[in-house]
Amino acid sequence: MSDLFTVDPLLTETATDLFASTCDFDEVQASEAAGWSEAVWAPVNEAGFTRIGLPESAGGSGGTLTDAAEVLRVAGAHAAPIPLAETMMLGGWLAVVAELPLPDGPVTVVPGTTNDTLVATRSANGLKVNGSAHRVPWAARSDQIAALVPDTDANELFVVMVKPEDVAITPSTNLAGEPRETIEIDVELDGGFAVVDSSVADQLRLRGALSRTMLMAGALEAMSALTLGYTAERSQFGRPIGRFQAVQQHLVWGAQDAAITKMTAQVASVHAADDVLAARFEIAAARQIANESAATATRWAHQAHGAMGMTQEYALHHLSRRLWAWRHEYSTPGEWAAVVGEHAVSVGADGLYPLVAS
Amino acid sequence: MKFEPTQLTSSELELQAEVRDFLATELPPGTYERALGMGAGKDVEFSKKLAARGWVGMALPTQYGGHDRTAVDRFIVVEELLSHGAPIGHHWVADRQTGSIINRFGTEAQRERFLPPICRAELAFSIGMSEPDSGSDLASVSTRATKTDGGWLLNGTKVWTSGAHENDWFVVLCRSAPLEDGNKHQGLSQLLVDLSSPGLEINGIPFLDGSPGFNEVVMTDVFVPDELVLGELGMGWAQNTSELAYERGGPDRWLSTFGIIEEFLRINEGTPLGARAHEMLGSTVARYWGLRNMSLTVARMIDRGEAPAVESSLVKEMGTRFEQDVLQKVLELVELEPSPDSAQLFERLVASAILTGPSFTIRGGTTEILRSVVSKGLGRRGVA
Ligand SMILES: Cc1cc2nc3c(=O)[nH]c(=O)nc-3n(C[C@H](O)[C@H](O)[C@H](O)COP(=O)(O)OP(=O)(O)OC[C@H]3O[C@@H](n4cnc5c(N)ncnc54)[C@H](O)[C@@H]3O)c2cc1C
Repeated sequence: MSDLFTVDPLLTETATDLFASTCDFDEVQASEAAGWSEAVWAPVNEAGFTRIGLPESAGGSGGTLTDAAEVLRVAGAHAAPIPLAETMMLGGWLAVVAELPLPDGPVTVVPGTTNDTLVATRSANGLKVNGSAHRVPWAARSDQIAALVPDTDANELFVVMVKPEDVAITPSTNLAGEPRETIEIDVELDGGFAVVDSSVADQLRLRGALSRTMLMAGALEAMSALTLGYTAERSQFGRPIGRFQAVQQHLVWGAQDAAITKMTAQVASVHAADDVLAARFEIAAARQIANESAATATRWAHQAHGAMGMTQEYALHHLSRRLWAWRHEYSTPGEWAAVVGEHAVSVGADGLYPLVAS
Repeated sequence: MKFEPTQLTSSELELQAEVRDFLATELPPGTYERALGMGAGKDVEFSKKLAARGWVGMALPTQYGGHDRTAVDRFIVVEELLSHGAPIGHHWVADRQTGSIINRFGTEAQRERFLPPICRAELAFSIGMSEPDSGSDLASVSTRATKTDGGWLLNGTKVWTSGAHENDWFVVLCRSAPLEDGNKHQGLSQLLVDLSSPGLEINGIPFLDGSPGFNEVVMTDVFVPDELVLGELGMGWAQNTSELAYERGGPDRWLSTFGIIEEFLRINEGTPLGARAHEMLGSTVARYWGLRNMSLTVARMIDRGEAPAVESSLVKEMGTRFEQDVLQKVLELVELEPSPDSAQLFERLVASAILTGPSFTIRGGTTEILRSVVSKGLGRRGVA
């Protein structure tokens, strides 16, 4: 069989129906002021879509990482304002890897920024954890916060699960108005932690990068469709603006950005299902493309919308602001380009085309 | 098309030094919330202080409270204000365009009534051009003025009217005679309309970053007396086109993101920056320098009595794209997750530029429309 992407179309369809029916304009808009959307979370969770890619034996819904990635892509297309990536691909995954119980509600994760200071010390009763972590999505609204914490000598790496009520939370938001909070931890745990292999940190970073790639792929496709629709409706100088060549250029560039991002994101998600570490090149390359596309496609979409795109009363900002926010998550400047570049250097001149064609 | 190199004269350099001194005293770094160029907020006191120095409406005639200064003098003042991110919102529109068009097209009575308070920074104006169905195609406006005893009744809806919720007046482009023979450039007029008129309703439209500023202005039988028809009845299109020329080509079209570069340097003072940062700074600063030269030349042309509509459109098209490019370059260099509620000014400016940046190439005439203006000009006049 020559098909690489073999996710059951029914999964995509069901997810599309689910997100389309829950993430309407008003709900996404309201979630920003409220900081939470039960109206989206509850039905998605009910349907088991918050646990795809996690084994049933551990309380997950089963399925592969590729399936989970596909669901995220659909969620991104609908600007779903919930910690879906965190619960199924990141925080929830950490719980499973550490063989800790998977909580029933939303699980968030400490993404790990350079100015985080979390450390762990073994104590007589268990584990002392303290320090601060930044940009934690929906920390205050989650059941549990998963974090990867090294001990002071960096000999051991722990997965730690803490409850929001046990940490101090300082509110903050990303560019899309979604909660990205700072947490201060100072606790002594007698359970809810486990030592994991040191490669888990690397895996989490790759999964995080992949999760944003999928969300961005979805948002880019939806943004392209929205722009196409708007420019067919909006008339100036007696005809739909989509008939002007200058506007068509934006439409085509936006569609190209969406197409290449979706395609490479899906390829990366297939490779990642077997082994995220082995899919480093694909994830990095897809992520680099997603970042570049987010930067350019938001420009084309906004330009084609004129002033209409600049208000909160029209849907474009639900997508563009998320793209602007997501491209900085699990990605520092040059990080993923460097991974791809290092690959190129390591395979050398003779290996270069084979790498491109891999 | 011509961009002849020019430089500041010694008296112009004196003015520049005065403005720099004033800003160093009034707005030392860290004492005010720096804005992204002309997106700045309203600070009536600050505007009045500028007016007291003679820097509002400075190119208007002395007899109406102005100072008979040149377009280059005004350029010198506004480039300093904009590069500081000073709070110029209150007087900005009146200073840039409304004062000039009232002076140029208005009746004697209108000049006497409006120009002195504009020069004292007492009157704030908005722009009433765009409508729900008329954006780039402005000549298609459907707001209607119908003749009544002693004046006109205005009916229609304006949209994206920046500052209407806090300003005093706006200039409304409307149809004052029915469309004839499909010539839509005829039968348009500009009316000076008090924003507190009965029958006028202002509804806020939240901007992309959640801030107020955008408005919809609905007019139902708003009475406008005859003496407030700006200039000549039916000449609205020509007047409006000339008004747009004041909106283009100035430092406000390439300085919006300048504060980001300046703050980037400030927060990195004393730390080695590395080759990539030097490269970014080099290409950015070179272009600021180049655009500033072009933009200054446009002001010189205005002072020579020329009408640099094509040149100013060319500068705006280039300058506004550059404003967005600057932001991208910084984002590719600096590790941060932009957050509007950051404790650091640099990060707040970056967040605000990401959210409001798309409008740089839309407001005041879109890039696409400007390109067609420039290419038509190239066709007429050639490149050199
Ligand atoms: C921040 C901001 C502040 C503003 N403040 C004011 C204000 O105070 N007062 C006011 O009156 N207006 C204001 N505006 C409105 C502004 O002038 C309009 O947005 C602008 O003229 C474009 O019109 P539009 O938004 O309706 O876009 P449209 O005209 O609908 O254009 C949409 C897209 O189609 C393209 N397009 C349209 N026609 C053509 C063509 N013939 N060829 C090629 N491409 C074409 C445009 O370039 C654009 O990319 C503001 C806008 C912004 C963003």
